[in-house]
Amino acid sequence: MTVKLDRRSFIKSAAATSAVATAASLFPGISFADWKKQTGSNGMITWKKAPCRFCGTGCGVLVGVSGDRAVAVKGDPKCSVNKGLCCVKGYHSVQALYGKDRLTRAQVRKNGKMVEVPVSEALDLIAAKMKETIKKHGKDSVAIYGSGQWTIPDGYVASKLFKGCIGTNNVEANARLCMASAVTGFLTSFGLDEPMGCYEDIENANVFVTWGNNMAEMHPVLFSRMLAARKRKKDVILIDFATRTTRTSQAADKSILFRPQTDLAVANAICHEIIRNNWVNWDFVNKHVSFHKGKTNIGYGLEDHFAFKDKAENMTFEEYKEFLREYTPEKVEKISGVPAKDIRYLASLYGDPKKKVTSFWCMGMNQHTRGTWINNLVYNIHLLVGKISTPGNSPFSLTGQPSACGTVREVGTLTHKLPHGVVMKEEARKMAAEIWDVPVSNIDPKPTYHTVEMFRALDRGDIRFMWIQVTNPMVTMPKLKRYRNGALKEDRFIVVSDVYPTPTTDVADVILPAAMWVEQEGMFGNSERRTQHFEQIVPPPGEAMSDTWQIIEVARRLGFEKQFPWGKDEYIGKIWEEYRRFHASPKHNMAPYEVLKKRSGVQWPFVNGRETRWRYNAKYDPAVSNGEEFHFYGKKDNRAWIWARPYEPAAESPDQEYNFWLNTGRVIEHWHTGSMTRRVPILHNAVPSSYVEINPEDAAELGVVNGEMVKIISRRGEIVMPASINGRGVPPRGMVFVPFFDEKYLINEVTLDAFCPISKQPDYKKCAVRLEKA
Amino acid sequence: MKKTDTLMGRLGLGIASLCLAGAMTAGFAVAAPGIPHDFDSKGEKIFNRYNETPLPAMTGTDGKRTLNTFYELRQYPGSPPRIPHKIPTSFSGEIFECISCHGRGGYVAELDAYAPVTPHPENEACFQCHVPRLTEKLFVENDWQSIEPPVIGRPQLGGSPPPIPHSLQLREDCIACHTGNGAVAEIRVEHGSRGNCRQCHVPMVATKPVKEFTRPSK
Repeated sequence: MTVKLDRRSFIKSAAATSAVATAASLFPGISFADWKKQTGSNGMITWKKAPCRFCGTGCGVLVGVSGDRAVAVKGDPKCSVNKGLCCVKGYHSVQALYGKDRLTRAQVRKNGKMVEVPVSEALDLIAAKMKETIKKHGKDSVAIYGSGQWTIPDGYVASKLFKGCIGTNNVEANARLCMASAVTGFLTSFGLDEPMGCYEDIENANVFVTWGNNMAEMHPVLFSRMLAARKRKKDVILIDFATRTTRTSQAADKSILFRPQTDLAVANAICHEIIRNNWVNWDFVNKHVSFHKGKTNIGYGLEDHFAFKDKAENMTFEEYKEFLREYTPEKVEKISGVPAKDIRYLASLYGDPKKKVTSFWCMGMNQHTRGTWINNLVYNIHLLVGKISTPGNSPFSLTGQPSACGTVREVGTLTHKLPHGVVMKEEARKMAAEIWDVPVSNIDPKPTYHTVEMFRALDRGDIRFMWIQVTNPMVTMPKLKRYRNGALKEDRFIVVSDVYPTPTTDVADVILPAAMWVEQEGMFGNSERRTQHFEQIVPPPGEAMSDTWQIIEVARRLGFEKQFPWGKDEYIGKIWEEYRRFHASPKHNMAPYEVLKKRSGVQWPFVNGRETRWRYNAKYDPAVSNGEEFHFYGKKDNRAWIWARPYEPAAESPDQEYNFWLNTGRVIEHWHTGSMTRRVPILHNAVPSSYVEINPEDAAELGVVNGEMVKIISRRGEIVMPASINGRGVPPRGMVFVPFFDEKYLINEVTLDAFCPISKQPDYKKCAVRLEKA
Repeated sequence: MKKTDTLMGRLGLGIASLCLAGAMTAGFAVAAPGIPHDFDSKGEKIFNRYNETPLPAMTGTDGKRTLNTFYELRQYPGSPPRIPHKIPTSFSGEIFECISCHGRGGYVAELDAYAPVTPHPENEACFQCHVPRLTEKLFVENDWQSIEPPVIGRPQLGGSPPPIPHSLQLREDCIACHTGNGAVAEIRVEHGSRGNCRQCHVPMVATKPVKEFTRPSK
């Protein structure tokens, strides 16, 4: 007896779908019967290049188009990022365009209910409401909250309208929640934002250290490159240094766990060991490094109107060495739980002159109440041993959104920033005013609110009008309840531009249907300074339009026709060429529009037709002008800065009453709040619901088995959700982990809105909770 | 056929498989203390197998095993296959005996075939689930019916990576069954050089109803 299907009936059943009869006889069991077929298709596919819609890796994809529909995706073999490979999200990304509940019409709240209106009526209302609010409450009562998924033109016109024309610095973006500490880390250590290296470091390194960074799930394509390099070269090792055991730990040669927040102490201990063993690259340090300290006990930003300004002081190497005396491996073992021998091992990897070391990090280091400090401290390690700005030697800060770098960091859609420089600097204001064709007095020299404070201002009533584009803060804001209640208060007007209904459109007074991804022309900028252009490949549905065009329409209604003069068939190219003027120097030059259109991404600085792969290195970087091998030209002293930054505890740590750490994050199948990926059938079916990961021993003590409901309680709120034991990841005892993609389980009602006082980025990885069996 | 359908090739295969790789069951990663190894559907196995298997062993295309011969050994999709070759009646089914061929695969001259690789070498009592057939005669007839095997190669859109149609329980090690000469022809992948299978392939179990996403009602 056997499976009751002999070869003949097997083939027969498969061949029932006649179109695939040939394939079926070759491969019995293949069937395409479940596919909903496109009507009227001639079966031909045209392939067009685009960057992937999801993470900051910036994979090149080819979108297959048949008629006016996207029907397939493959990796773009011409794109050096991914060389033809994608991840499961990328391969199915085009399905996210076609969710049944796609927003295609504008909606306006009338008598408490959302009703569909023509989009022009919604745009009129937005402009009228903005005018009215500014008249009643002043220009700083209107705000725009954008996104690292904004295209570069989206962010650029938002900044131009709000900072240049209206004259308010109320421009922020969700990248504040994911990349701000990376930015302040770069600025304090090097004076210029964004990585010095590029993804080619992966093929050149011998040692990879992932700092609180589950790359196997969050940057899977880069992770595969790493695995392939390790397999090919044999002399490559991967160390996973994290607070939780993940798929990345499983692939690593060694998994080292540290207690939350103590990465600060371990990084200092590594430096301590490098100096004690005299592994310092003195030639490099003497020529290219200076030593500094800043303020300590800097707070956590928990109170409204919190303000902090760091003050840098010079110090000598001897003083720095003295500072590190507190951080012997033995002392740090007590703080961090990392065995002293493992600390020495890490130091020996960084210190070995024969090994090239690349450090990768993302949210673990950035969503950290000392996010700027830990970024500084990892740069310290690389600087002490001179392992930086050369192929394979790379402290590499990864991004989570497709254009967190391109739009938020490079265009500067943050309250204190302009496309070039900061609002506080007169030169920068003059440059912006000239390019934008506005009086320089328009641009306010004082920054207003960073993201958390902006939502606090909305709650307090200092902000009355907020336009939210391409992001879902009613899932992602920490201490969510306060900010949702704030948005729902009387006399607040919320405009949301999005592609699907979300908890954020639920609080909107106006919903604008937006074009998504390749339904519009635009550019993204990825983690390795690569600008990636995509043309409009398919038409947007209904009355959906690009976020850029929505802003242009409103700007014109506000009387700024002169600043927004472009036609619909040319505006992206024109905007790009205008924006490019801000960066015209060998330190940041961007590729011309025509070049971007042709290539699968171009790295900046793009100088004399050449991309710069390793910055600050004379061999690769045309901006190096000191005649030396390296030139850290971002800082006035032409040196990279090593910072003495101490270990300070988290804003809230487990205690008797709330005895667990709560850590939050993501899974490979879902991207951020899941508003797109949950509408892709394969991704939703793979991970249909969120869960709370509990260490098996903690679960046993609690009396909970896999799938049973657990109540997670913090001082802010509580949530009941299913337990996951030995699931995707395993937290150590005393920690639980929750993916935040699921709007049914809003874990951010439990999290804390503490942030790094320098970067103002909240810490989603650490707060105290207790558990109950529900 | 009768001649080769024996266990005589066992020794030869043992040697063949030794040529392929080092210690099979030894863990590759040094895990953090106190953390179990078997989480994420024992995903560690994929990475270990990937590192331990030389590329040529992942790219073989013998093609003798097919889905038809595969299901002929099974009672229903997912049932443990019976042992198709003869084994001595004295054979105890100890791990070493089976694993010498089925641990890493390799060519068996006596059978003129490549041995399939087990995805779960850590289960050592092979005879617990896999048994030989000593007679073709049944005790009494049985009206057993199986469901259809899962349809394979069913991508969500043209050219996209097909989902994993089966449960991962006992089938955690993708590389064991889906690469190399011992793999069933229809399910062998051409890109064994990629190491993180679930970067592109995620489970969508064929026997589970497809769920549609709807927003939670307020």
